[in-house]
This record gives sequence, structure tokens and C-alpha cells, in this order.
Amino acid sequence: MSSTLSRDTTVNAPTLSNGTDWLIIAGLASVAAVYVRAFLFTPPEATQGPAQRILYVHAPSAFVALYLAFALMALTSALYLWLKDEKLDRVAESAAEVGLAYTSVVLVTGPLWGKPIWGAWWTWDARLTLTLFLWFIIVGYLVLRGAIDERGMRARYSAVLALLAGFLIPFIHLSVYLFRTMHPMPIVLKPSAPSMPGVMLVTFTSAFFAFTLLFAGLLRARYRMATLRDSLADRENDR
Amino acid sequence: MIPDNGGFATAAYIAAAVIYVGYALSVRARMRRLLARRREMPEQSGGPR
Repeated sequence: MSSTLSRDTTVNAPTLSNGTDWLIIAGLASVAAVYVRAFLFTPPEATQGPAQRILYVHAPSAFVALYLAFALMALTSALYLWLKDEKLDRVAESAAEVGLAYTSVVLVTGPLWGKPIWGAWWTWDARLTLTLFLWFIIVGYLVLRGAIDERGMRARYSAVLALLAGFLIPFIHLSVYLFRTMHPMPIVLKPSAPSMPGVMLVTFTSAFFAFTLLFAGLLRARYRMATLRDSLADRENDR
Repeated sequence: MIPDNGGFATAAYIAAAVIYVGYALSVRARMRRLLARRREMPEQSGGPR
């Protein structure tokens, strides 16, 4: 299946002439607002202290990485193997790269919370270890994409790897239930009521929306970049 | 007494900001390079296959 999108409508229209995307700016502004709310208008938790505020960055970043970015990567990769539509491959590539940025934030902010609360920067706990493995697999996925020039082969091989990486998502989600773990259990995304006071819950929920908005902006910009790159490669091959 | 560990939170927020803003700037820089390359190419209709 082929896409015949005009380069003017796919790349230029909502993007400023210098390559800036307004949705990314809106996302970054929302995240900045969450920073202000977390530090100035949300009280520190009594037992954990101000380090608990790391939760407002760590948990939404993990949510976006696992359940939006990598789930989208795995889904579009599976669909690519079926439909062979290059747009799906570009979405998978974009979601993987943006998801890697989010997972990097998770892996940096987690130890910064662990040191004051657990007394250790890192522990080989199931959730932490599986998340680190997933980070390495996504790095491998992006390296693989960079190593293969032929577009069809690149899309097919990377789709298989992305699909396999996707199988880690349910294991990471269930790791706190399946294994003896130090990682805290869910405090909001659980069947019962959130275990968090209202003022903290508002900050936490706002953070989820802000980081999701930023994800949408980054994903859109990264997808446009991939579309333009492929378009230019086609034009160079046609000459 | 509330523990004094605000430095860890500040460090985490700064690290996250550096990663997100850095990544956004990297996408912008790559996009600008591609747009510059397209401007240098002769006009031709059509998009990616």
C-alpha cells in the first residue's frame, strides 16, 4: 500500500518555517506549569519529604512510555507486517524514539527517588530491571533501523523486533504483582480509589495530561520528520 | 519531621527538563536540516511512497 501525501500538507502546514511545532511548545508549557504547581502549590508528603514530588514526573513519563509510545510502536509494527503501509512503519519508528526519551527520564528520575527513600540508587528489582531491558531493546531497535538502508527490509526487521519488545509491556505492568518487589504499587491507576490527597491528585492528574500532550507534539514532529526524510530520499532516487 | 531531601527532587526535575527539551531541540534541528535540503533540491511534485 502506498501513500501519496503532498509534502506541503504533510510537512509544512502546522509546522513553522523554522521546523518548530506549536504542539511541542504547548506540551513543554504544560509541563512547565506542572513543575510550578508541584513545587509551589503542592505540599510535600509527610514521610517521604520533598523527594515524593519526583512522582509527578516519574509516573506520568512511565505511563506515556509504556502504555502510549511502546504500545503504539508494537501495534503499528504488527499492522505494518500485515498491511505493508510505510506510514505505519514511520509511526512505529517515531513512537519508539519518543518513547526512548520518556523511558530515559524514568530511568534517571527513579534512582533519584530511590536514593533518599530506599537508601540505594538502584536495585535489581523486577520492574526496574525489565524497564532497563526494554530501554536497551529500543536502543537496539533504533540502531538496527540506522544500519539497514533498504527501506522495506528495514521496516520488516524492525517491526518484528518492535513486536517482540511489546511483549515486555504486560510483564512490566504486572511485575509489581507477579514478583516480590521494592517498587511501590499503583496509587492512582488501580481498581480502588486513589491513595492520595486531593491537592496531590490534581497535580498528579495534570502531569499525566501535560506529559501526554508533550508526547503528542513530539510524536507528530518526529513523524513529519520521517515523512520528509523518506520523501527526499524518493526524490533523490528518482533523479 | 519531614526529611530534608529536596535536592533530589530538584535534580530529577532538572534532568527531566534537560532530556525533554534536548530531545525536542534535536527533532527541530533534524527537521530544519531536512527542510534546508529540500530547498536545495529542484522542484518536483509527489510525496513519500
